[in-house]
Parts: sequence; C-alpha cells; structure tokens
Amino acid sequence: MAAILGRVRFAWLVPMVLAVLGTAGPSSHAADLLKVGLPDEPKTLNVFRASGRWSGRVLALMYQPLLVRDPETLELIPWLAAEMPVYDPEAVTYTVRLREANWSDGSPVTAGDVAFTGRVIREFKVPKYYSKWKFVTRIDTPDDRTVVFHLSGPKAVFLSRTLATPIVPAKEWTRAVEAARKKEKPLRSLMNHRPKTLLSSGPFVLKEWRKGAYLYLVRNDRFFGRGQEIAGRTLGPHIDGILLKFFGTSDAAILALKKGTIDMFWWGIQPGYIEDLERDPNIQLYRCERSALYYMGFNLRKPPFDDVAFRRAVATLVDKQFIIRRILQGMGEEMDTVVPPGNQLWCCPDPRTYGKGLGRADRVRAAYRLLKEAGYSWDVPPVNDRGEVVKGRGIRYPDGRPMQPWTILTPPTDYDPLRAMSGTIIQGWLQDLGIPASARPMAFSALLQQVKTRRDFDAFILAYGSLSLDPDYLRSFFHSDNDKPRGWNMSGYVNPEYDRLAEAAASTIDTQERRRLVWQMQRIVAEDVPYLPLYNPTLVEAVRKGRFGGWVKTLGGIGNLWSFCELKPL
Amino acid sequence: MSPDGRHRSLRRRRWLERFLDGWAIYRRNPLGWIGLGLLALFALMAAASFVPPLIDPMYHPMAGVDPEITSSMGPSLRHWLGTDFMGRDIFSQLLAGARVAFLVGISAAFMSVAVGTAVGITSGYLGGLADTLLMRLADMVMVMPALLVVLILAALFGQLNIWTVVLIIALFRWPGVARVIRAQTLTLKHRPFIEAVRVAGASHRRILLRHILPNVLPLSFLYMTFRVTSAIMIEAGLAFLGFGDSTTVSWGMMLQWVWKTGHMFKAPYWLLPPGLCISLITLAFYLLGQAMEEVLDPRLRKEEGGVG
Amino acid sequence: MGLWRYAARRLVQIAGLFYVILTVLFIVFRLAPGDPVERMVDPSMDPEDAEVLMAQLGLDRPVGVQYLYYLKNFVSGDMGISFHYGEPVAEIIADRLPNTVLLFTSSTILAAVVGVLLGKRASWSKGRSTDTVLTFSALATHTVFLPWLALLLIWLFAYRLGWFPITGMVSEDVWLDPGATWWTRAVDVAHHMVLPLASLFLIQFGTFLLVMRSSMLETLKEDYILTARAKGLPERVIRNHHAAPNAALPVLTTIGLSLAFSINGGAITETVFTWPGIGRELVLAVSQNDYPLAQASFLLIAAVVLLANLVVDLLYAVLDPRIRY
Repeated sequence: MAAILGRVRFAWLVPMVLAVLGTAGPSSHAADLLKVGLPDEPKTLNVFRASGRWSGRVLALMYQPLLVRDPETLELIPWLAAEMPVYDPEAVTYTVRLREANWSDGSPVTAGDVAFTGRVIREFKVPKYYSKWKFVTRIDTPDDRTVVFHLSGPKAVFLSRTLATPIVPAKEWTRAVEAARKKEKPLRSLMNHRPKTLLSSGPFVLKEWRKGAYLYLVRNDRFFGRGQEIAGRTLGPHIDGILLKFFGTSDAAILALKKGTIDMFWWGIQPGYIEDLERDPNIQLYRCERSALYYMGFNLRKPPFDDVAFRRAVATLVDKQFIIRRILQGMGEEMDTVVPPGNQLWCCPDPRTYGKGLGRADRVRAAYRLLKEAGYSWDVPPVNDRGEVVKGRGIRYPDGRPMQPWTILTPPTDYDPLRAMSGTIIQGWLQDLGIPASARPMAFSALLQQVKTRRDFDAFILAYGSLSLDPDYLRSFFHSDNDKPRGWNMSGYVNPEYDRLAEAAASTIDTQERRRLVWQMQRIVAEDVPYLPLYNPTLVEAVRKGRFGGWVKTLGGIGNLWSFCELKPL
Repeated sequence: MSPDGRHRSLRRRRWLERFLDGWAIYRRNPLGWIGLGLLALFALMAAASFVPPLIDPMYHPMAGVDPEITSSMGPSLRHWLGTDFMGRDIFSQLLAGARVAFLVGISAAFMSVAVGTAVGITSGYLGGLADTLLMRLADMVMVMPALLVVLILAALFGQLNIWTVVLIIALFRWPGVARVIRAQTLTLKHRPFIEAVRVAGASHRRILLRHILPNVLPLSFLYMTFRVTSAIMIEAGLAFLGFGDSTTVSWGMMLQWVWKTGHMFKAPYWLLPPGLCISLITLAFYLLGQAMEEVLDPRLRKEEGGVG
Repeated sequence: MGLWRYAARRLVQIAGLFYVILTVLFIVFRLAPGDPVERMVDPSMDPEDAEVLMAQLGLDRPVGVQYLYYLKNFVSGDMGISFHYGEPVAEIIADRLPNTVLLFTSSTILAAVVGVLLGKRASWSKGRSTDTVLTFSALATHTVFLPWLALLLIWLFAYRLGWFPITGMVSEDVWLDPGATWWTRAVDVAHHMVLPLASLFLIQFGTFLLVMRSSMLETLKEDYILTARAKGLPERVIRNHHAAPNAALPVLTTIGLSLAFSINGGAITETVFTWPGIGRELVLAVSQNDYPLAQASFLLIAAVVLLANLVVDLLYAVLDPRIRY
C-alpha cells in the first residue's frame, strides 16, 4: 500500500503537507493572555435570554451586580454598591448608594441603569429574573448615585438574589426595549435581540467572538475595582485579556491543557483524569467544594413512597460512601441534608441520618427491621431465622398486597454516566431486599417532563449542579404550594408545619433568626425523607503551572470573578 | 417414493450441489477465509460470555465489581484485560459485548432482510402502482442517514431499549435489499418456468412462495451479511454518542464509558479492545458477504457500498 | 427532450418526498415527550416563569396551528429561531454550512480520486497480492469503527506526535494576529482539517476503490475492449483510455448512494473533532431539544441527499450514452 501511495502521482501532496506542518506549534502573541478552555460555546450574550451556564460565565465578567459574595466567608459584600444597602423596616425599603463606576465607554454607571434593569425585568416579565423582582413595587432614583427599592413586604432573598442581578447599561438597551414594546410579543422580541456591542462595567470587555472557535475578552481599563481594595483584596485585572476557547469534549480540552495550548480548563475534571494530571509536573490541580445537590427523589403521592417507613428503609439501604468511593472515585462527600455542606452559612449540622457507617449486611438488617416494624412481610425475608442476610423475595405491604415493580428514573449515560450508574447500583441494593425496583435511564428532558410536569413516576435521581447560596430553594422544593405541574415540589411533600416555617423564613431579614428556621426545616426534611440527598461531588479544576498565579478558591471553583481580577502573570 | 417426494429430494440434491459448487469457489477466496475465521472467533467469544459470571460474581459484566479494586487497573492474571473505572472486569464485558453484537446484528439484519425481501417480491411481482409507491418509499428511506435518524429518535424518546434500536435499524435498512430482490423478481417473472406454472393454473401465492422465493433467498441471505455490518455499526455509534441502552453491555457502550470517564488517553487496555472488536466483526461479516457475492453472481453488485 | 422530462418528473417526486419528510419530522418532534423549557429553568424561578418561557418559544399554541406556521414559515424561508441561541436558525446554518461543505467535499473528492486510481490498479493485478492487499485495506478502512479511529488519530498525531491541533477549526494565535494574511489563515484551517479529513477519507475511499475495481473488471470483458485488444493497442492505452472512463461511471452512482453513510460519518467526525459544522450542530441541537435548529439541520441534510441523488442520476444519463430516458 505504501509503495503505491509513494508513486509520483502523489508527489504534489508532499509540499502541501510540509507547508501545513510548518505552521504547527503554538506561538503566542500576547504573553499575558489567559487562555481558558470551555467545554462548550456560549449560546448567546443577550443577558435577558442567557440561561446556559457558559453564557452566564462570560456575561459575569462584564455585567456586574450590586452585591457579590466574599470568596472566603461567603457573606454578601458591596460591589457596584458603595456599601451594604440600608433597610427601613417601617417603609419596607432598601436604599443603595452606588460606587463610582464607569462603563467601558467612559460613561458613568448610574442609578438610572439600576432602575432600568429592574423595570425592564418587571415590565417584560423576563423569565430568568422575574421571580426575584416580582415583589419590588417601585424603584426610585433620588439622585444619580442612589437607588431606593420599595418592596411589597420583607423578603429574605432581596439582598442575596435580587441584588445579584447583573446591571445592564440603559443606553445600550433602550432602543431594543422600545422596539420590543411595539411588537406583538415584546418578551420574545427582547430575548431575540442580539446586542452588537457589549458595554462592560466589569474587569473585561468583549473584543471578538469567532463563532465555533473562541471568544476574546480584553482588560477593561475603566473597571471600577482596578487598583482598589475590596474584601481585603487588591484587584486588577493584571492580565491583558482572556481567550475562551471552545472544546467539544473534555478529552480534547485536557489534552490541550497538557500540551500547554490552554492555561486553564474551566470545568470539573472527571475522576479518571485526576491521577494522570497529578503526575504531570506542568499541571496544578485545585479541589473546591461545590454548591451542588445530587439526590434521589420519591413520589409521595402513591405507594410505596407514601409510607415514611419505606422511605427511611430505602435511605438506610443506600450506601452513599460506596457510591462516592466506587462511582465518584472518592471525589465527593456524603450529604445528610439538602443544603450542601460547603454552604457553611446555612447547612444544618445535626440532621437525622440513616445507617451511617454501616456495612452492607448491617444496612440490610436495619432496613429489614424498619420495614418489619411497619408491618411489611416477605415471601422470603432478606434476613433468615439465624440472622443471616440472604436474598429476599416477594415483599408485601402491611395490608398483604404484593409490591408492584417500580422504577428509578435516571438521566441517560451521555448526560451523566455517574447518575445513571448510581441508579443501577441502588436498584441492586433494593432488589437484594426483595424490593422490585429497577433503574431506567431516560432522555433528560423527557425525564424532567415525567417528573416535573406529569408527576408520573416512582423515584428519580437528579441533581442541581450549582444551587444558589441562599437557601430559599428549601421553600421551593417542599412547600405544598409548589406541588403543582412545573412546580418545584416534585415529591408532592405536604406538611403544614413545614409550610409555616418556610413562609416565616422567607420573610425573615435577621440572619440568625432565619438560620434557626432554615435548620429546623432541614431537620424536618431529614426526618420525612421526601428527598434522599446522596452526594456533593468535589470540583477538581486544572491549570498550567508557571503561567499565572493568584487563583482564588471558593465554593464553586477557582473560575470566578475574584480569580480573574487577581491573577498575575508569572 | 411418490413423485412429489422424489421431486423434493431432487431439489434437495440440487441445493446440495449448488452449495458444494459455491463452497468450491468460496474456498479459493482468502478474504472469505479471514472473514469466516474471525466470525468463528467472535462466536466463540459470545458463547464464552456465559462463563465468567459463573466463576465469580465479580466477573458479571454489568453488576460485578472487584471488591479490592476501586479504579481502572491494567491487565493482570485476575483481570486479563484489566478493570474499568469502578472495578468491573473488561474481559467479561468484551465477551458480553460479542453476544450483544451478534444479537443486534443478526436480528436487525434478519428483520430488515425479511422486510426488504417481502417488499421486493411484492413490488416486482405486482408491478403497477404498488410497485411505484413502494419503490419511491424505498428511495426515500434509502438515502436517509440512518444513524442520525436513530439518534434523533433516541434523543427525543428517551433512552431506547436495545430491541427498539434493533427495530428502528431494521426499518431503515430494508430498501437496498428490496431493490435488488425486486430486480431479481422481475427477471424471474418472465422466465419460461414461471410462465409454465402460471399457465398450469398455480395461484399467485403458490408462485410467489414455491417458485420465486426460493430463487431469491440466496440473494437475501447475501444481503443479510451486509446488513449485519450496518446494524452493528449503527448500534455502536449510537451507544458511543451516549444514546444507547445503558443497561446492556455493548462494545459501543464500553467505548462510551472509556470516553466519558476520562480514560481515553491513559487506559489503552480499555480503549483498544472494544473498538478493535467492532471494527473486526463488521469486517468479518463484510468479507463473508464479499466472498459469497462472488459465489452467487459477480454481476450482482448493485448494492450501495455504505453501511450507514 | 426525454432527459428534461425525466428531470422534471424526478423533481416533482422529490418535492413530494420532501413534503413527507417535512411532515414526519414535525410529528416526530411534537410527539416527543421532552419539554425544552424545563432545561432552562432553575429553582429560583417560579412555574409561571416557565410558562412565560414556553409562550415565548411559541410552544403554547395548538399543534395544528404550530404545523401551519411551520409550513408557512418553511415556504417563506423562515426556519424559526433557535431555542438556545436565540438567533434565526437560517443564520446559524448559514454560519456552519461552509465548514461542513469544505470538509465534506474535500474528503469526498480526495476519496473518489484515490479510490478510483487504486481501484484501477487493483483490477489489473486481480488475483495477485497487490489486489488482495488493496481490497483488504479498502474493506478494513471501510468497516473500521469511525469514532474509535478518530480518537486514535487524535491520540497519535495530535497528542503523541503533536503534528496537528487536537480539535477545532482555527487557532486563535493566527486569527487574533492582525498581521496574518489570508494565506496563513488558510494554511491554519488546512492544518486543523488534516485529521478530520483523514478520518472521513479513510472510511470513504474504500467504497470507491471496490466499486471501481469490480466495474473495471466488468468493463474489461466488454466487446469493445476485446476489439481494442485485437487491434493490438497497448494494454496501457486500453486501460486508461478505453476501459477506465466507462468503468468510472458506477462510481458516480456510488457517490449518491453512499452519501447517507458519509453523512453519518461526517456527523461523528465533526462531533469528535469539534468541527463547527452542520452535523455537530445537529447532534447538539437534538440532545438539547432545540427543535427548530434540529429540524432545519435535518431537513437540509435530507434535501441535499435527495438532490444529490437526482444530480447523480442525471449526470449518469448524460455521460452514459447507453441510457436513454
């Protein structure tokens, strides 16, 4: 074959191949350009449409909110605001003073921009932000640097969520907004607007977006934080720009990192790569906690999960350590409550746990005891007369009916192989007890539709990859009001006492008091097990050594605003 | 012996002769030998796939894990091809994959060839409007990229069960067969012996089943080998992209695991075998088909070369 | 003229088929249980906001009305707006299409040329080892599992040897450099294209080789070849000037018929190499329930396939004097 290819006929190929090879090898033009790999391309840079993770990441480098979180304490600190907002309990208003800041074209960031952002969200009911602005009844701007928000009542999420909304430049959007108002579908028109340029109040500003290849951001010299000290940190940015390069797969991005084509991969590294990357002298790994929740949900509206004893038995059977050790390769931590352990402000320290630390056989015994006490019976009990664990068969409800087969829905392997595999493993544990469970991977959106909209399921394994730090989701997940199609209470959990606590927590401004309520809510959830929290994966991120220093670790990884503001070329 | 019985035994002898003649041609084809050899090997693997779980539950391809291994390990005496990321034995998975490949390949091929033969005979024999409609339908289905269609269906309707995948593949791969069978039927239809039985008053059913079908069957069988190739490829591609049946251990699924868990570039013992097996089994069936084609009729090369 | 009437009849048929595909596609996408909105919401959003989003995407209308809009928009060339990009689908496709065309046509042409040349070579050494080796390699590359081959290529040539970029289509160094000429940029793209091109080429050329080989063998038995031999023309002339041009005709049909196969391969290649083309876009859109984009990409592929087959048939008719419609 080689002999034939080598014939004169193909000689013309040789110079071409040589020319192509000649251009190989990276040659960097801007030495202080941080090259970051992204697994996928941002779909849009329209801030009112952006729902994807990647769009959010890029926009966060440009549009800034009034408040942000301190990377260490996770407390809210003023950002575009000059100081923390002042609350007036009488009038139910918050007054915010703005910091002296400019857009990247030199014009000032004014109270008008803030009011404009809020008003557009409210007027158009922008889905991504509307729930955070619904309760803001009026926005006043007594002067260019002061904004007064009037609220319909005290809201705990105002500071943490409403004021985390990125502020949009009024002058860039006014025309699009006015044009959208005249349309038959104003929101649709607003969301489909494509901004030609993007003014930035953040550390970087968009320079070029080559579709399908990269996004190039350069340093914004007018960034308000430049040279300032905020949260005890002196901000830059000290780098010339960021180049976000899109890779379709993690493999390619990690190879690029090893070769030095990129300086950082802005995405969690799968366990399989870690050992190899640890050995690589050019690579530095950072391990951070995530604000994530991987959990198994139950349908409390029908058997078998309408029985709390059964839910507790399942919770006892599920060996979270096994899942973490085997499937996550140790890259994760067990969760006992719905709030991630890394969220030290709100995570309840003492929820009820099930079978913690027990081995396989002991778990079977404990679950067997729980079920037997609740009146369940077996054709062949999983624990025999001599107390040995055997394979159980034919479990029956307390009223003698045999349990019908039921399924655990999981995302498909292409979406998350680990969850699909957890489902398979849990299925095996349940079957050992004679429980007719089977895992069924399902296309992701079909799964959501089944669970959230149709509510036709038995159990499922889902996850929130980045839960907000404010624990208001506890209310969303388990308040009985949300037990409706598309509502977040997918389990159908109904508990008047919990509802009362949740409502109180939502309107409690005092942090200590709210924390007490939130802990109490978590204890109730752990007691009743509508969700069984499984694990919170550790986020492992990789960067090239020797190019840039000053990565800031925080909950959710090193790829954060603080890092990009503080990184220095070495 | 009754005349009918004698007729039958005669026919049987004719079949045997034809087979032996064919075999004589086949034997001279070295590529055919390679194909047969490879197939025998894979058949052996599929048969052997039942053995490992009997030795120890940890060799179960899907559910078994080595209690002492929690990450991917290279080959050892205990695990001949090493283990996957959670300590499952790769060799047992490879064996199980052979079984799945045969299952998927042969059943999908059988179904598509059955449909294709039925459509081809009907179309060719009936002619007229039915012929036109069926052939236009065949034209349309034939040019559709089957993998993408299955991919769309799999993504939209949730993770497909392996049998559903088989069915869909079958539904998209019949037109090639139908076309060839139709052409063959058309030529047969006007042969004197068919005319003769028709004049003798045989029913359409009898003519189709007794006289036309036996004559097109070898051709159908030939196309089955090509269809097996394409079915295995589509299933593997689907599984690789993550849309396969994740409760079945197939070679495509194994590759997907390597890829998704980040072992692609560091666990060659895990990456190489499944890909090699997929490539070799499709090659084997293809070689078999090629060699048989030469036996049956070298002029019959009308099939599209694709396996998509 | 017969050819024109034939072409017109085929065009009408193709339009009919296309309408069927259009409708089937619509039905399939609406029957699907997935809900595109649920992926865009997070727990801080209220259920009502999801409904708003649904209405925004036009999914709140009755299915019949959606179908009519779909047809109307299709006729007027408006393929809708991508759920995820928020851009007109037509623009996204227009943006990706050139990349696919570039990769695809180059690999097909290359595969056809090399396949035909090697097929010719194989046919006149039939039975000898050159023939066996060529046939075998054609079969082996044709049946190799493409994603696996692609990954091996990346591993060897991009990772181990470092000759080529791992994935993508351009390198930012070249494109960010204001001094770069169009030539360096073209070379940069070519450099990125080598590996995807190689994998597509490898799975395609075998088909051409095999078809050319057998077609050549058939042709060599024809009367006019015998006549030419009898006239005492040199073997070379007979092969290259008498047999080869006629034998190359079936290769044309092969291009049409193997298009579906190559498109499958193209989608996989684009996905593995992150080549920003239609195939990758389709795979992504499908997995994200981006209905308009997935529909439009698939329709485009279907249209191309149908038309390509028509063109091939017509060319065949024009080139082969024996065929008259």
